[in-house]
Amino acid sequence: MNTATGDQNKSSTQDDSAAADLPLGTTKQWARMHKWLRRGIIVCLVGLVLEGSFTLPFLAIWYGYPTLSFHDICSELMKVRYNNESLECQHPYPFPGPPLGGAPEGAGVNTAKDQWGIQPVPQYPRLGFRELVRIHDQRIARQKAAEHNTRVPHP
Amino acid sequence: MNLPLRRSGNGKTATLPTAAPVPRDGPIPVEDQIEQSRLAQRRADKWLIAGTILMGACAPGIFGLPMFLYGLTLLRRASKAGLSVRPVMVTLIGYLVILDAGLNLQGWILDMIGNHTLIYRVLYTAIGNVMDGGYFWHYNQLWIGGAGAPGEKSWEWACILVVFPMRIAASIAFLQMKRWGHQWLIVTCWFGVVIWVGYVMNMTEYADIRFGGIVFPVLGWWVFDIMYITPFLAIPYLHTVNREIFSD
Repeated sequence: MNTATGDQNKSSTQDDSAAADLPLGTTKQWARMHKWLRRGIIVCLVGLVLEGSFTLPFLAIWYGYPTLSFHDICSELMKVRYNNESLECQHPYPFPGPPLGGAPEGAGVNTAKDQWGIQPVPQYPRLGFRELVRIHDQRIARQKAAEHNTRVPHP
Repeated sequence: MNLPLRRSGNGKTATLPTAAPVPRDGPIPVEDQIEQSRLAQRRADKWLIAGTILMGACAPGIFGLPMFLYGLTLLRRASKAGLSVRPVMVTLIGYLVILDAGLNLQGWILDMIGNHTLIYRVLYTAIGNVMDGGYFWHYNQLWIGGAGAPGEKSWEWACILVVFPMRIAASIAFLQMKRWGHQWLIVTCWFGVVIWVGYVMNMTEYADIRFGGIVFPVLGWWVFDIMYITPFLAIPYLHTVNREIFSD
């Protein structure tokens, strides 16, 4: 009897000691779950910071910076989006611009390739790493060649 | 701030006047303990707030993280010294919810009103081309500008005007250990579950627009956006934490 009481006391002391180590607000029953939640929260916090810090540099490099300027990237993406080589990003855009006033940049452009229906399917090509640089250079070369051909009189 | 009193380093809520910690060189009055706790909490919060502001501003986030971690260290040291400071989990959840809501607010507000600036035309259409075609497909063709994916603007209005401001307000009160902060964080984190389910289903319904012709379809979006899963981490804690540590 005394031994049993002694064991109970010992167990109770251990419980108290374990509870004493728990953070405020965490009960023993949920201690393990809180520990894993804390780890998940730290992972998300660090993940958000890394994403916030490195997304723009990553995208800029992927789409051709510094070979292409931001203005070039903007224009190249617009040409791909609307399947129209004549489009250029207008910068600076007339103030105030949408939604406060004026038409949006893509207003009236109807050259985008889509398979139209209740669930439209875009038809633009998938862009690879720095593929915009190649697309940009090829177009410039093509335009220069065309310009050259028009200048040289045909023999 | 309604900081709960505690015994020296043992993590239990205590009642006055026995709450005063008993340092080796003798007892100190409970008023001094409360004042020291308040100062320690304030000092840590300065670092935590500065860090969160930088982290919420995206690009300088990498400088904000060490400041935030230093604030956490200060809080931990104060706790070990027996001062009555906010539990680490409450701190982490409160600030992460603010960061999550702040980043979302920033992104969506700019898609709404800054959609013709050069930096955001590049950033949004590029990110759209990488992992979410909703931000590339017919971008800047709606009268309002910005993303043209079906339903996207409705999510933006609902979250900008209702959910995220409420979550930030609730988080601030939660960090102040107020009962209404705890209660409203539960409410607004459940809003977050609604947003997650609704948003993912919307993307699934219009999967061709969202994931057709882009660089990293589906998996790319999940890898990037899984970091915003904050409500699913906060809700289990909020429902199992001892609510007595929050006061009116």
